[in-house]
Amino acid sequence: MANLKSSLNLRDKGAEYWERSPKWRRVALAIFFIAICYALPFLNNPLVNTPGSDFQSVLFYPVGMYVLMAIGLNIVVGKSGLLDLGYVAFFAIGAYTMAILGTKTSLNFWEILPIGVGLAMLSGVLLGTPTLRLRGDYLAIVTLGFGEIVRIFAVNTDAIGGSRGIAGIPTPPDVFNAKFTILDPKPYYWMLLTFTLLIIWMVRRMAARRPGRAWDAIRQDDDVAQLMGINTRKYKVWAFVLGAAVAGVGGVVYASQILSIVPDQFNLNISILILACVVFGGIGNVWGVILGAVLLAFTPERIRFLSQPRILVFGIALVVMMNLRPDGILPKKKREHFDPDWHTVEESGEGEIK
Amino acid sequence: MDFALLHDAFWGLTFDGIALGAIYALISLGYTLVYGVLRLINFAHSEVFMIGTFAALVAASGIMGVKVEDDPRTGVSMILTLIVCLVVAMLASAITAVLVEIVAYRRLRQRGATKLATLISAIGVSISLVELFRIITDSLPREFPRIMEKTFLFSYAGADVRNDKVIVIIAAGLMMFALERFITKTRLGKGIRAVSMDENTSTLMGVNINRVITVTFFAGGLMAGAAAFFYILVYENTSFKVGFFLGISAFTAAVLGGIGNLKGALFGGFALGLMETWTSAVFGTAWKAVISFIILVLVLLIKPTGLFGESIQQARV
Amino acid sequence: MSENVLELKNITMKFGGVTALNEVNLVVKKGEILALIGPNGAGKTTVFNVITGVYKPTSGDVVFQGESIVGKKRFKITKLGIARTFQNIRLFGESSALENVVTGADVHSKTGVVGSIFGTPRSRREEKANLERALELLDFMGIKKRAGQLGKNLPYGDQRRLEIARALATNPKLLLLDEPAAGFNPAEKVALAETIKKIRDAGYTVLLIEHDMSLIMGVSDRVAVLDFGTKIADGSTTEVQNDPRVIEAYLGAPADAS
Repeated sequence: MANLKSSLNLRDKGAEYWERSPKWRRVALAIFFIAICYALPFLNNPLVNTPGSDFQSVLFYPVGMYVLMAIGLNIVVGKSGLLDLGYVAFFAIGAYTMAILGTKTSLNFWEILPIGVGLAMLSGVLLGTPTLRLRGDYLAIVTLGFGEIVRIFAVNTDAIGGSRGIAGIPTPPDVFNAKFTILDPKPYYWMLLTFTLLIIWMVRRMAARRPGRAWDAIRQDDDVAQLMGINTRKYKVWAFVLGAAVAGVGGVVYASQILSIVPDQFNLNISILILACVVFGGIGNVWGVILGAVLLAFTPERIRFLSQPRILVFGIALVVMMNLRPDGILPKKKREHFDPDWHTVEESGEGEIK
Repeated sequence: MDFALLHDAFWGLTFDGIALGAIYALISLGYTLVYGVLRLINFAHSEVFMIGTFAALVAASGIMGVKVEDDPRTGVSMILTLIVCLVVAMLASAITAVLVEIVAYRRLRQRGATKLATLISAIGVSISLVELFRIITDSLPREFPRIMEKTFLFSYAGADVRNDKVIVIIAAGLMMFALERFITKTRLGKGIRAVSMDENTSTLMGVNINRVITVTFFAGGLMAGAAAFFYILVYENTSFKVGFFLGISAFTAAVLGGIGNLKGALFGGFALGLMETWTSAVFGTAWKAVISFIILVLVLLIKPTGLFGESIQQARV
Repeated sequence: MSENVLELKNITMKFGGVTALNEVNLVVKKGEILALIGPNGAGKTTVFNVITGVYKPTSGDVVFQGESIVGKKRFKITKLGIARTFQNIRLFGESSALENVVTGADVHSKTGVVGSIFGTPRSRREEKANLERALELLDFMGIKKRAGQLGKNLPYGDQRRLEIARALATNPKLLLLDEPAAGFNPAEKVALAETIKKIRDAGYTVLLIEHDMSLIMGVSDRVAVLDFGTKIADGSTTEVQNDPRVIEAYLGAPADAS
């Protein structure tokens, strides 16, 4: 049994293979996987097809969008350990920025994108600065409330369409030969994928450096983190703001594809689903989070033929999975890292310090 | 904004707010009890409440044979119907709560899983229950037959005091009193307090943790079931979504008072009920959630662990 | 030798009705090892908590290098140059030993989140410098081979050593050690005493809480004694050993038995 378990431990096997690989093989592997991701819309396999909905559309939303947002939420929940149940709010802010500026001004998608991201970040600062000193569960309810309030505000404000939302959102201008139209989800998927890869790259850099260590410390022991000289408040707000920025990107892109938005698209269920993606896949581990998001976004579409009970099946699957693998499918590495250079160090105990 | 309405109907609104607050308080007791022993938000508690409303519905129409088009009952038949509905709702919710604990929590707890994993497991149960009832009810709201004639008992300062709400307030008070007795006087209740203080020491002192947790969920479920019956008695309809709205409010109430603190849950419930009723009169019902949220944030900024702090062990109802 | 690194001036710390520290005055001089001793519950760790900003004293002042630090945020106090270890080990258990120490070394880095995302030259330089310093410190504490292991998986003694390395990484002017030898065997205690002396000789100032009298008498330049929140003696090891009040405080347990 133990043997079976260790051979099933694909994460460690994968990580080990990756670490043992020379640089050229890593680059080749990365290019190979990225190419596959870009080629996914052309995949026409009955196993992954989504009867009842267009596969290429599904790739963009929910799959691509959930992956992006789960990566963003993972910065908040997975890295720094802050429970955010209102993540959808930042997605909504991005989407509404695109919708309002796109319909009321002559700004195009690429000009609105930084504004949308900026506004999402600003709201992250405004919400985070006063509330991030609250402990876990209190923060959870405050963020949950914030998510609901953004939605309620949109429903009740006629200037931004009220409950009917906003229609006629312009599509992005063409990039090279890619034409962004409602009929073809592929360019949107590719754009989203590009943003996602960029964000993964940024997150990995942060995680390996000072901010990553600070978040690790804060998540594990806030008091000691402070006593080790970490400005915990600042790093928490940063985590919040970066998470908000990612959701803001998602919102802007989403609105430009869907062409019309209504407030009820941005409900609590989205926040919870994204959180489920993070925890289900393996909190803190970006690959686990991606896998979780793909599975949780794709499965309900794949089993759309079950129509009535598919969400029920989803809910049950969530419970069963969490009971079987409480740390998620691909948990954060717990494996110990033995670098040969350190392992063979002659133990002197005689070092000098400056 | 309509301050005139608040001014003119102040006592009427206050009375309605207390009735609503009693329902919130009963639900939030469930959140607080579970939080006390497990240090977890029971995300599925809103569905425990939802199932209570449907159980009351089944009890009224199925067991007691009251039809929506019937005239309200009177006399002994009415009292009997009320009691049967209440008891069935309480039992249904309590059994659901215990099952939720076994399905969503027990295994994860015994494996020492993280808080978040447990939270997602509970969310999974919540989603499943909502969907189950959505499918059963065809996504339609259900009407609850009128069991008792609703009359105004008397008027005070322009407030019409309606009999069903009086019953709700009094019965809710009795429930809370019974819970307080249970927590402070009985062996099991003391076990709950002991585990809330220190789980490890309690185990060493011979407290059976599993049993205490089951009892905690059961007690929380009883309160939620009572709340469910009172809710459906006053508002006379329910749907698969009812848990979501009431759940968020009740949870807010628990946090407002200081989660894990029984007194806080009660106070938070009544405070939130009153605030929601008053502010909806002024700003319109659409904004009541916003106002409640702002008040919650302000309270937490001044007192980060809620109005009464967090301790269940010293809790007095 | 006369420069005062830290001065506690009439520190009183009350929790509700309980007075944990009562008008405590204490001076730590630059380059010395000062031991803070006293029976259990005398308020030693409370002193550490007041110095590091965990508690705000009810009254009195804490002056660090001529500047009052009362009311300053904890991370600012650490940045100013006070680092500590914990009586009940509090490492970042899910992080590797090396990461633990680098976290401490990050204190004086200038790079923020944005610099790290874009990998500015300064960020690379600082990352490299902090990593090297951390490895150096692990080596100094004799636990370099543990670098890649998770904090929680280290043997007990190495966890205590790692805590010292992590605190040293912040480059403190004053190092606070809270019972660093707790649970050590005699040989380990001797080694630890040597390490503490080496830390002092490298130019650090050390304030040490310890129960083990032989260790204290072996390493301390001076000893201060707390009893029930009041400082009852302060002086060289011999002075303190012969102080009748100290002997009384340790009633039935002569100061040199351990």
